[in-house]
Order: sequence, then C-alpha cells, then structure tokens
Amino acid sequence: MRKPWVIKTDNKHSVPVNVDCVAIDQIDSLPVEDVAYWLIDMRIWQDGWQTLCQVRRHLSPKVYLRPVVFLMESMEMPAEIQKAADGHINLVSVDNAILEDWVSRVEPVNHWINHLAHVDEAQDTNIAFKVLRLITSRNMELEPVTTVRRNSGYVYPILEPLFGKRDTGVMETLSFLESQHLLTGKYVSKAHYCSHCGSAFLNFKESCPHCSSDDLAVDELVHHFKCAYIAEMSEFKHGDHLQCPKCERELRHIGVDYDKPSMVFHCNQCSHTFQDPKIMVACYNCGRSTEPENQIVKVIQSYSVSAIGLNAAEYGLEALFTNILDSELRLYSINAFHDFFHVEAARISRYKISSSSLAMIQFRDIDQLYIKLGGRAQEVFAELSAIFKSVLRQSDIITARNESIFFVIMTETKKQEAYRAIERLQEDVVALFKNNLDFSPQLVISIEAIDEQMDLEKTLEDFLGNHAV
Amino acid sequence: MPFEGVINFVNGLSAGQILAYFWPFFLLDMTRYLFLDVIVILIYIPKRILNKARFLNARKRLYKELPLISVIVPGKNEGKHIPRLAYSLDNQTYKNIELIVVDDGSDDNTATICRELERKGKIQCFIRNEVRGGKASAANTALKYSNGKYVIHIDADSHLAYDAVETILLPFYMNPNIGAVGGDVRVANAEETFATRMQAIEYLKSISTGRTISSELNILRIIAGAHGAFRRDVLDRLYGWDVGPGLDGDITLKIRKLGFRVVHEPMAICYTNVPTTFWRLAKQRFRWDRSMVRFRVRKHRDVLFPSAQFNFANFMATAENIFFNIILDIKWCIYFIQMVVFYPDQLEYIFIINYFLYLMANILEFVVACALLHLSLRPRDYFLAVFIPLIPFYTGLFLRIVRTYAYLMEFLYGASYMDKWNPWKVSRIAKREKL
Ligand SMILES: [Zn+2]
Ligand SMILES: [Zn+2]
Ligand SMILES: [Zn+2]
Repeated sequence: MRKPWVIKTDNKHSVPVNVDCVAIDQIDSLPVEDVAYWLIDMRIWQDGWQTLCQVRRHLSPKVYLRPVVFLMESMEMPAEIQKAADGHINLVSVDNAILEDWVSRVEPVNHWINHLAHVDEAQDTNIAFKVLRLITSRNMELEPVTTVRRNSGYVYPILEPLFGKRDTGVMETLSFLESQHLLTGKYVSKAHYCSHCGSAFLNFKESCPHCSSDDLAVDELVHHFKCAYIAEMSEFKHGDHLQCPKCERELRHIGVDYDKPSMVFHCNQCSHTFQDPKIMVACYNCGRSTEPENQIVKVIQSYSVSAIGLNAAEYGLEALFTNILDSELRLYSINAFHDFFHVEAARISRYKISSSSLAMIQFRDIDQLYIKLGGRAQEVFAELSAIFKSVLRQSDIITARNESIFFVIMTETKKQEAYRAIERLQEDVVALFKNNLDFSPQLVISIEAIDEQMDLEKTLEDFLGNHAV
Repeated sequence: MPFEGVINFVNGLSAGQILAYFWPFFLLDMTRYLFLDVIVILIYIPKRILNKARFLNARKRLYKELPLISVIVPGKNEGKHIPRLAYSLDNQTYKNIELIVVDDGSDDNTATICRELERKGKIQCFIRNEVRGGKASAANTALKYSNGKYVIHIDADSHLAYDAVETILLPFYMNPNIGAVGGDVRVANAEETFATRMQAIEYLKSISTGRTISSELNILRIIAGAHGAFRRDVLDRLYGWDVGPGLDGDITLKIRKLGFRVVHEPMAICYTNVPTTFWRLAKQRFRWDRSMVRFRVRKHRDVLFPSAQFNFANFMATAENIFFNIILDIKWCIYFIQMVVFYPDQLEYIFIINYFLYLMANILEFVVACALLHLSLRPRDYFLAVFIPLIPFYTGLFLRIVRTYAYLMEFLYGASYMDKWNPWKVSRIAKREKL
C-alpha cells in the first residue's frame, strides 16, 4: 500500500500529522513509486506554492506526475492556487481515515504513472510533453479559471506550477499540442487582450470623439407629440410628474402622448454633443489607451486528451523535429550510428590517408520553441531541417539522441573543416531565428577527430555531462 | 379662321362687356400679379440700389461680430443628399458655421453616411432619433443642440450658393426688428424634365418675385423650410416649431405675432430638387395646399379678429393669403359656371383670349423677375423663357385642379391629419386637439 509523504517547506511550523517527511532535494532517494501523494503544508501558501513548483518542475515523471494534496487551515488563498493541487485536506480535522481515503482516491493516477515504460530512468525535459502527461495522468478536462493575479486573466491551475513565474507559455504550449492533434480544444469564452502588453485587464470607456475625455453625461430625449417639443428628460421634470415646458401640458403615458426617441451624450470637458461616442480601451497593466479594433481577441478553450494524445503521453511524444529531419536527411538509429562509427574509425586507422570528424550538437531551450511558436513550431522545424540538409553531405551519418541532441559522423572531413561546416550551420540557425523571432536557441557544439582510440560512448557521455541540462 | 373670329369678337366688345367676360383677369389677377409687381419693382429695385451702402455696412458689422451660425437639417432618409450639402457649406464665404443634422427615423443608410461625415468633422452634431417623430420634432431636436446666434433651416435635398449664408444674414444687421429672413429657393434640377422646367419658372415668379413683393409690402407669410434664417432668441421664445404639415408658415406667423418683421432676401440663394413628374408634383402640392387651410383658417383665425394683439399687417398677411387662395379658387368655379350658362357659344373665343391675357401677364412677370434677379441668374435660367407659353396651362389648369381638390378634401375630411407627413402617434393627437 502506498502512503503519503509530507514535503518539508521553509516555514517553521511542524506538521501535525503522523506522516513521514522529506526535504525536496532528498526526493530522489525515496522509493518514489510507493508514494501515494505529496502533502504540502499551505498555512503559508506562498511557501507551499514554491514547493509545489519544485515538485512539478522535477524531470522524473515519477515525481512531477505524483498527486499533490494541500494541507490547509483556511481557504485564504487565490482559487487558482488551491486548484493547482489534486485535492486538499483541512488541517483541523485531519486524521488517518482521511489520509487513507485520499490514498485510494488518487490511486488511478499512481497506477497510470507506475505502469509507464522506462519510468525509472525517464527524464521529461520537454515542457509540452510534461503538460500532456500531466493532463493525461489525471484523465481530466483541462478547464480555464479566471484570475486577477495573472495578466492573461485566465489560468489552467494544474499547469501553473510547471511554468512558474513565466506569464506566457501556457496558452502557446496548449495551442501547439492542439495543432499536433494531441489535445482537443473546446470553446469556453473569448477574451480581449491589450495589443501592447497582452494584459486582459482592460477598461472599455465611452469617450468624446472631439477631446477623448471620458467625462460624459448621458441625456434621454423626450418628444411631446402634441407640440413637437423635444428636450432632455430633466427639462420635463416638474415635481413628481412630467410637464412640457412649451405647452405646459402634463405628460402622462409614454407612447401615448410622448416618447423617448433617442439618447445623447454630452462631454463635460469640451461641451460637445454626440450620439456616437468613441469607445476607448485603457489597459490596467501598461496604462496605454487604444481603439477596440486594435485589441487582440483570443478564444479561451478547455482541453481534453485525444486518442493520439493518450498514446503519445504513454510512449513518448514523437519528437517532431527528429521526425522532420528524418524525412529530409535520413536519421540513423543510435545503434546503427555506433556500427558506422566503428567501421569508420577502423578504416581511418588502417589507411591513414584521410580523416573524419565527429560533431556533437545540442540545441538549448528547444522546448522554448513550442512556447514561442505554438502551432507554428512545425514550419520552423522544417526550415531548421533544410539548414541541416544544406550544410551536411549525403555521406554524413546523423543520429538524434532526442530532439535537441544530434551526433554526426562527417566522413573525409578534417576537424578544421568540420568546425567550419558546423559554424556555418550555427550561423544559419541564428539567422533563421533572428529574422523570424527575437529569440534564438543556443547551440552547443563539440568536434572531435575520429580515430581508433576514441571511445565513442565516453565521448558522447562527456559531451552530455558537460553540456546537457 | 378662329384668329379672325377672335379679333372680331374683341372688337365687338364694350368696356362693360370686357369686364363681364373677363372679370377674373382684370379685377383680380391683373391687379395683383401685374399691377403690384410693376409698382413694387419700380420701388424695390431703386431702393436696393440706394441701399447699397447700408448692405455694405451690415456686411462689415456681420464680419466684425462673426457670430456662430447653426445650419440645421432635419429629415428622413436624406443621407444621400447630405455630403453635397456639407460640401456647399464648406465653400461658403462665411466661415463660422456649424452643421446639425437630425435623422428622423431613417430606414436607409443615412446614419452611416452622417456618422462618417461627423467623424470627418463635416457635420458638427448628428442626432438620430430611432423612432420617427415628424418634421417639427426633428427640427426642434436640431434646434436643441445648435449653439448659433442665428439658425438657418435647410432641406436636406438642397444646397447653397457660395454666398447664401452671408447674404441671408445681412437683413438682421440692417434692421434689429427682423426676426426671420426667408432665403430664395431656386430649382436645382430645372433641366431634368418638363415638369421641373415648369416649376423653375413658377419658383422665379412666386418665390423670388412674389415673396420679395410680399416682403416689401410687409405681408410675407412664409419663411420656407427649404431655406430660412431665424434669430435664435426668437425661436427659443417660441420653443421651436409646432406639429406640421405647414410648420413653415405656422412659425412665420408666430414670429409676426411676437411683433417681429419677417423679410425675404432674393439674393440669398438655395438650390433645391423638385419633383420630376407631374404625379409626384401633384402629391407634393396636395400636401402643401391642405396645410394652408389648416393653419390659416383653423389655427390662426385669431389674427383675423380684433383683439388686444391685433396687428394690421398680420391681418393683411393672413387675409390676403386666405382671400387669394381660397376665395379665388371658388371664384373660378363661379366664372366657369357663368361662362357655360350665359355664353356657351363664345366659349372658344373666351378661352383663347384668356390664354392670351395670361400669357402676356406671364411674359411680363418673367421680365420683372429677370430685372430683379439678373445678378444671380445663370444663362440657362433665361432659356426657360421658351417654355412660358405653356405656363398658363400649368398654373391655370394643373395647379388649380390640384389645389381645388386639396381644399375640398381638407374642408370635408380634415385629411391632413391622416397624412404620412407625421407619424400616426402625432397625427392622432393633433386631430384630437384640433390643432
Ligand atoms: Zn408640449
Ligand atoms: Zn469632449
Ligand atoms: Zn497593456
């Protein structure tokens, strides 16, 4: 039977439950598959929130996917924070029965996590993949929740700890997953965003078309049928009844002896009179005012995992980039790559007339691409592949360790030449991103001359050890 | 030969017989239309020349003061005409003008057009009444939101000559007792059809010349809604216009009752589009003629009777109008019966001679109009003279039949209460209140 573990937070209170405690940096030493859920003390919710973020940002699916239950004393925290956990237990009434009840309630999630293939050694670095797995493991419809604590006005509470303080990224990641048909979106609402800063906190104001002031008075016009007199309602008010200032008759029944044909705005600043006020939108965040037609309108959706998504969450998100590269360049499996390497190393040392090089390339922050590009990521990956294709030759052997780490055997290429080729690749990649986005993934490069003494395994491990995150 | 017969017939008539045969012309029409025309033109034109210095002085004072002028345009489904009107205001010699347009429940794209002009600053204030309230309430809405010292009321389907605003304001600066000034209305689409040519000649006679004379005699009874300038303080005292039709004549009379003078300024020109077919013209005149009965005879009958406010000029303005329009209309029936009963054999001759007499009168009137207006006439206006031989049929038959029918309907049924001019909600109240 699995059991809950309390994760120690920074605050000095001791937790009044009979449950084992673990510090966040000691988590790796636990038999995590036996953890039913993490208990987090939320009496100082800001501290508890930090702990939750650390859990969700762990790379091991056994850790970050594990259910989290809050221990709470009061409900005094923002709703979207409270909803970021799988559940909450009241500290005042907590007892073993409740704790055990939660063990069985979250069991389906734990079951799903523990049956994942390679779950012990897996390191989920791709944030889109983590999002997909988190939603899938909960078997939930991901619902947006309105909030005033985020500029976007909407959050998906359970995803928030994955992204932490970053305000953008959630929507873009979801839209990327939807574009890959891994998630299915369903319309919930529409929201307007400031075109300058993306804030959802907008103040729609009627303003004067002459002087832009929003200090306006609204008047209702009254038309007395009998004498054709028209004036504002206030001119007709006479004690508790309406009396026409022109003909002094009493106005009795609207529609019978008078009506209200229109409304008129009056600017208190410049005295202009008009019916068609200019609508202006002021942003609470950046303070700028713009016309409504310049606002960005986004559809807010709820998401559920599609059949393809279910499969991808279990067996791994098919690396999009490597797929595209494969169709353009032909990627070899890591085993085939090993074989090629040994043949090449033997050939070089036997004839000693030529030299070949091993290039190791890593794209840092490639998951940022999903975040920045959403559904457009695919196009950019296609362009990236084209760059690979233009720099590398038909005789080069490429393999991908994952979608951000590539190894290339460059045959008949001296180390210097290989260096120049990979530099060109780097320049082209930087140019591609500079032209399209103000963001460029960092390229980490290492080049070695191939000889028989080289231990491929160790070289690759060194590279990963030095550079991989 | 009928012509010979006519000569012989005329030669055989004694003075008494001439009067017996042609009394409507010699006793009534000649007196009014010719005698008055010639006499007054002999006075008016020289006076205008002598007053040149006063005009220049008034102009100087107008430009020194440079008051804000509100041009108000109430109307329904008139959006298509507004851009041209706004353009003609932009090109006025007088510059301190605000344009206020009131859309009285249009069901076309009027609001779209006007909102666009408002955004561009061509219209200073555009008010749309979602529900139609009638022309008077629309004019009152415009008045409500105008800020000018003088208010110029213009129909949407007309546009102004480049100096019309300046010219129509001058009388206010020549005589502080003037409460309203009527502007001249000319036909904009004269060349369009035969019907519009007839109306162009008629307007020159009855508006340009006729109102100038009435004004000179101080019996002017109408400031046309198509083009009229009002002192704002006077309009405010009256709380604007009353329920139409005939609201133009109505407010003119009310201004006179307040003791102000109203005058016509023939050189302040506004061009308006007139009905292009005789059928539409008949419908327009039917509406105008009925309102005549309603407002002069019913609503303002007080001016005809001695009272504390009795004023001889007001009495004359109303009496002249009622007499010449209604009594003279009945006169034609009497004349017609008289001729058929007593002179059935000479009907042919009588008709030809009457035609000849009225043709001569019309030619003379056209000449008088040209003398009065020559500075403001365009070459094509003179060309209208070719159509004068047809005018006796137009005024003597067509307009007379329409008018007789309208008077009859109004006296018998009070038909104008049912008019489409006003929305039903207003007509119903007007009828109940015997307005
Ligand atoms: Zn009233
Ligand atoms: Zn203003
Ligand atoms: Zn903003």
